[in-house]
Amino acid sequence: MNKKKIYSTWFLVPALTIFIVFFLTPMALSLFFSLTVWDFNGFTFCGIENFIMFFEEKSLRIGIRNSIVYAVLTCVFKLGISFFIALFLTSKIKTKTIQRSIVFFPNLVSTVAVGITFTALMHPSKGLFNKCLTAIGLPGVDWLVNPDLALFSVIGVEVWKGLSIATVIFIAGIQSIDKTYYEAAVVDGANFWQRVRNITIPLSRSAMNSIILLSFIGGLRGFDLIWSMTGGGPGFATDVMASIIYKQYLSGFYGLSTAGNVIMLVVIMLIAFPLQKFLLSREVD
Amino acid sequence: MKKKILGILLCLTMIGAMTGCGSKPGAPADTGQGEVQGEEAQTPETESQGGQEEADGKTFDGETITLLVAAVGIPEGFNAVCEAAEEKLGIKVDVEIVPGGDDGTNIIKARLASGDMADILDYSCGSLMRALNPEEYFADITDDFGDRLVDSFVEAASVDGKLYGIPSHSSEAGAILYNKELYEKYDLEVPTTWEQFLANCDVLKEAGEIAVLGTGGDSWTSQLAYLGDHYNVLAAEPDFARKFEAGEIKYADFEAGLASFQKIADLPQYMNSDHMATTYDDGCDMMMEDQGAHWFVLTRALGNMYGLYGDEVNKIGCFGVPGTDPENSGLTVWNPSALFMNKNTEHEEAVKAFMEFYISDEALDIYAEIEPPVGPYCVKGYKLPDECFEAVKEMQERFFDTGRTAMALEFQTAVKGANCASICQELESGQTTAAEAAAKYDEDCKKQAVQLGLNW
Repeated sequence: MNKKKIYSTWFLVPALTIFIVFFLTPMALSLFFSLTVWDFNGFTFCGIENFIMFFEEKSLRIGIRNSIVYAVLTCVFKLGISFFIALFLTSKIKTKTIQRSIVFFPNLVSTVAVGITFTALMHPSKGLFNKCLTAIGLPGVDWLVNPDLALFSVIGVEVWKGLSIATVIFIAGIQSIDKTYYEAAVVDGANFWQRVRNITIPLSRSAMNSIILLSFIGGLRGFDLIWSMTGGGPGFATDVMASIIYKQYLSGFYGLSTAGNVIMLVVIMLIAFPLQKFLLSREVD
Repeated sequence: MKKKILGILLCLTMIGAMTGCGSKPGAPADTGQGEVQGEEAQTPETESQGGQEEADGKTFDGETITLLVAAVGIPEGFNAVCEAAEEKLGIKVDVEIVPGGDDGTNIIKARLASGDMADILDYSCGSLMRALNPEEYFADITDDFGDRLVDSFVEAASVDGKLYGIPSHSSEAGAILYNKELYEKYDLEVPTTWEQFLANCDVLKEAGEIAVLGTGGDSWTSQLAYLGDHYNVLAAEPDFARKFEAGEIKYADFEAGLASFQKIADLPQYMNSDHMATTYDDGCDMMMEDQGAHWFVLTRALGNMYGLYGDEVNKIGCFGVPGTDPENSGLTVWNPSALFMNKNTEHEEAVKAFMEFYISDEALDIYAEIEPPVGPYCVKGYKLPDECFEAVKEMQERFFDTGRTAMALEFQTAVKGANCASICQELESGQTTAAEAAAKYDEDCKKQAVQLGLNW
């Protein structure tokens, strides 16, 4: 394929300029500033002190663990639940369009509004959830107050909110499967579950991979929902990487928070690239 | 079909955009609230002199000065003083509000660094002020106002002996508000030691009352049992602040310091069951509805409760966090925020005249009439008005008149751990012990010390 080039390489310049100015330069700068203690007036070089502090201090370290728990669990639940919703919404049912819209609705509300709403719903004494539980004779649950449970409560809300996108991607994936496969399987006497397992799942794998990658990286970076629901509390129980970085920034520890950003970038890269490679290698053509 | 889908999609996007825009809370409000209109006199600006005596007839012909404040809103009392300033001096004050808390702090830091600061900044003094590099941005007003203000405020609003701010309202205490009606009902005495306090709590708990109102939903309130205990720390080690700043003394291995954290840990057993989700606003209501006998909080809550319930607030009393010595129970006091003058202001004379007016007896009277003080004033010779909250009177008689008060640690040293609120909230929720929390706080302070360039 030794065609003569039609477009000059110069066409790359606009895109490349934006990329360099807004992505590469800040990245290089933050790498440098993560090695300093700085404020708006100047900086002092301090080597890898910031990084050491990040790993040594428990209240900082806990964020890395929580981020991974948050990412893995939201990813798994979103994938599992949205698959069945998508399966249902692509089957022969009435009012398909309206049901699809309903599933998509949570995604239209601002995350902060979702967070505030659920915080009110989960209030231990005044919240609707516990009111319902006590009405049927069950003890109330300390959704966001119990430090062991708070992270999982937020994960639940994140799953509720993130299901819609995953479902839409799944619907697209399932609909693109050629109908003839199903017809052939029916002729061969395969029942519904056999068709799902042997046709739908393998052939919608590319959709599945997109969902896994998107929700996993999204989960690692997760911030807005956690911040609006718990602010990282009680104490530090629901602090994730992003919320810790934000807190350090708010406290004026700019060097430390820049170092946190570098760590977050590295962690996401270390997890996301191999994951993508692995997922792509398993895709069926 | 395609068109239909496209139509629906467009609709959905629009709804999304609308809800998205509508629900973001706390957007910076750039309003002209507090801006006072009007016109007054013509004499051109002249130096105004003298402490109390206002410059008669020296006015500024409607000169407008700007003021930046990080808060939810402007107190009515402040507006009234601005109106009076306009009438008297012909100075218009144009107020800009940015969000309070840490967000506001960062906006202020950025605006200072970029040279985009208003003529006057209303901001905390003490350790928060020192983090702004005041000597670089604020004018030295030692000679103008130094003599008029009480020493403890001057100390907190100064760096290296240079004064930068004047108090924006009355001082307040980090103390225990208590319900006097419940105290009468169960025949309790105001405690002078922590043991007595806990004994009172036991009585209340057994009677089925909420002995201590917990408002851990707003983490800053969790700190008060520790921060308000500073008087007792100082009683044990008068030189605590200096040693702490030098890194010679740590909370974790100093008995009285550890006791401060232990006090937080002692409280949850007496608290309302949903104390970790209860907010400060809830607390104001609960306190007035007798759902809580004690509340560890800043006395500014009195002002909020007064706004909601009027004179009923006088059933609330106030005492300091008790220590171990019944003869020496004291109160930990917070300085008010301060008004700082921008070094590069173009309206230096007008700003100074406004500041001078602001701390004159006349202006203080105007302010206090609308917003009753929640603690003594930091202006020399200005006494509390006769009509003020019962709790404030009690505070004045029991502690200020006997000289048993101390400033909070944040006004004595620039080192304050940024995660203090979270650490205390964590302790209140029972995830850590007092010793662990104290050690954590020491570690947290180390970060601040590094940022300040101290050798810890």
